[in-house]
Amino acid sequence: MPRRALAAVAGGAAIAAALPWLLDDFLVSLALSCLMYVALATSWAMFSGATRYVSLGTSAFFGLGAYVSAWTVAAAPWPVVIAGGALVAAAFAGLAGLAILHLRGTYFAVLTFGMSELTRHAVTYGEKQYAGTVGRVLTVVPSNRTVYFTVLVIAVAAVIAAVVVRGSRFGLALIGIGADEQRAQTLGVPTRWVKVAGFALSAAFAGAAGAAMAVRWTYIDPTAVFNPFIGLQTVLIAIVGGPLSLTGPLLAALVFSLLAEFLRLQFPYAYLIALGLLLIVAVLYLPHGLAGLWQHRARVGPAAEAR
Amino acid sequence: MTTPALAARGIVVRFGGLTAVDGVDLEIEDRTLVGIIGPNGAGKTTFFNALSGLVTPASGRLFVGGADLTRKPAHVFARAGIARTFQTPRVFADMTVAESVRFGLEFAGRRRRAERASLGDAPAILDFLGLAESAAVPVRAVTPARQRLLEIGMALATRPRVLLLDEVAAGLTQAEVESVARLIRRCRDELGLAVVWIEHAVAVLLDAVERVLVLHQGRKLAEGAPSAVARDPHVIEAYLGDGAAEARP
Repeated sequence: MPRRALAAVAGGAAIAAALPWLLDDFLVSLALSCLMYVALATSWAMFSGATRYVSLGTSAFFGLGAYVSAWTVAAAPWPVVIAGGALVAAAFAGLAGLAILHLRGTYFAVLTFGMSELTRHAVTYGEKQYAGTVGRVLTVVPSNRTVYFTVLVIAVAAVIAAVVVRGSRFGLALIGIGADEQRAQTLGVPTRWVKVAGFALSAAFAGAAGAAMAVRWTYIDPTAVFNPFIGLQTVLIAIVGGPLSLTGPLLAALVFSLLAEFLRLQFPYAYLIALGLLLIVAVLYLPHGLAGLWQHRARVGPAAEAR
Repeated sequence: MTTPALAARGIVVRFGGLTAVDGVDLEIEDRTLVGIIGPNGAGKTTFFNALSGLVTPASGRLFVGGADLTRKPAHVFARAGIARTFQTPRVFADMTVAESVRFGLEFAGRRRRAERASLGDAPAILDFLGLAESAAVPVRAVTPARQRLLEIGMALATRPRVLLLDEVAAGLTQAEVESVARLIRRCRDELGLAVVWIEHAVAVLLDAVERVLVLHQGRKLAEGAPSAVARDPHVIEAYLGDGAAEARP
């Protein structure tokens, strides 16, 4: 892992870790929401940014993690609950990936969206059938501070994983798949397995985040935890920030979750309209997101000399 | 008798009702250079797609160094030593020239390190191709002619035993075509590769190869030494239409 990235991650984590002692409860809950989107957007970009397989499935993984948490939090130790959410989401993504990762572009995006809806309805049905209820009230939950630090650990783990993957052969394979999948395969990349593994790894972080956030809400039902807004906001953050960069999605997660909290309450429609416009502009004119603006400048310099 | 580097037996590829390749055989030994020619739509590229595992033949068998790879995915072919280029260069536009070559070294090339020692790293490959000074240039900024060379470099990075070249000379000037032909001969002579070369510029190809296969409407029309094939009336007819065989001096 590059030393500069490590230092930046450690610094950011230290600041975030101090916040519960420095800020009031409202601001700490804002910080929690920021950290959640850091985890979601960074892990999304790790797979979808590199491979250009745009997934709208984040809410499925998040919701599954939340339900795993709801089912087990009273009985199992907290780390096991989080690991359970991550594993179930990863296993589900792995199986779904085997079925749908041969489809590209719009087809893949639409199917992952459908997958989220399917999961939501399946959980609703299962809960009605076997638990006799749709929502669940979580009575035995860890303290807010525990939840905050759990989400912080998940966010840091997602960022570290993104850095490590980026520097690895696995990350190179993901980039190759994004550039030209068939070409990468003829150069020896086992594309199917790389895609399934990348999709599952990315889903693990969303599942863990869902498991941690579920207890924070104390009452959960499928509509709340399989909320498509979570998946869309994740994609938007990553794409506007720069799907191929590390810092882009990270900074965008901070900015947008803060904006969301302030603007959504005061100007709900204006906020959603602005988000939509921003996404369109990013897709049309900034394929590498806001991060592309400064990276482009950094890249053109030395390359031009080499010519 | 030695095991052929690549053997294809009775390859049939169908797309819906259309039979693009209809029972074609090909055997190639190490250190040989074979050409494939044929009019447009003869099934040349589809045949290559079958030889590199990108399409699964409806019937027929494929052997690489004696191992049966029929129905295996493309990366298994790459790891077994089959490397290829594409008609329209498929290079990684966002990477630099050196990064693109390193990609092949990292995947199939890494697995094949023990089998093939030649051209061990990216600088050696770029030197071989005459691309050394472009190493740090982004791929999107190099000329189409150099992108074609780079694609050969990406293929060589997999440390192949067999190199499949699909119209690598298309769109090049006469001087460039001749230099590509020299490069292809060096792949055989210096690297010991079995090379199969598809080309539209028939004259250059016939000059360079020791054996040529003619495809027409998915079938093998002729196979043999270039001089014999060039005189074959069936071949001339396929290229120029009825009556051309008589008209030619």
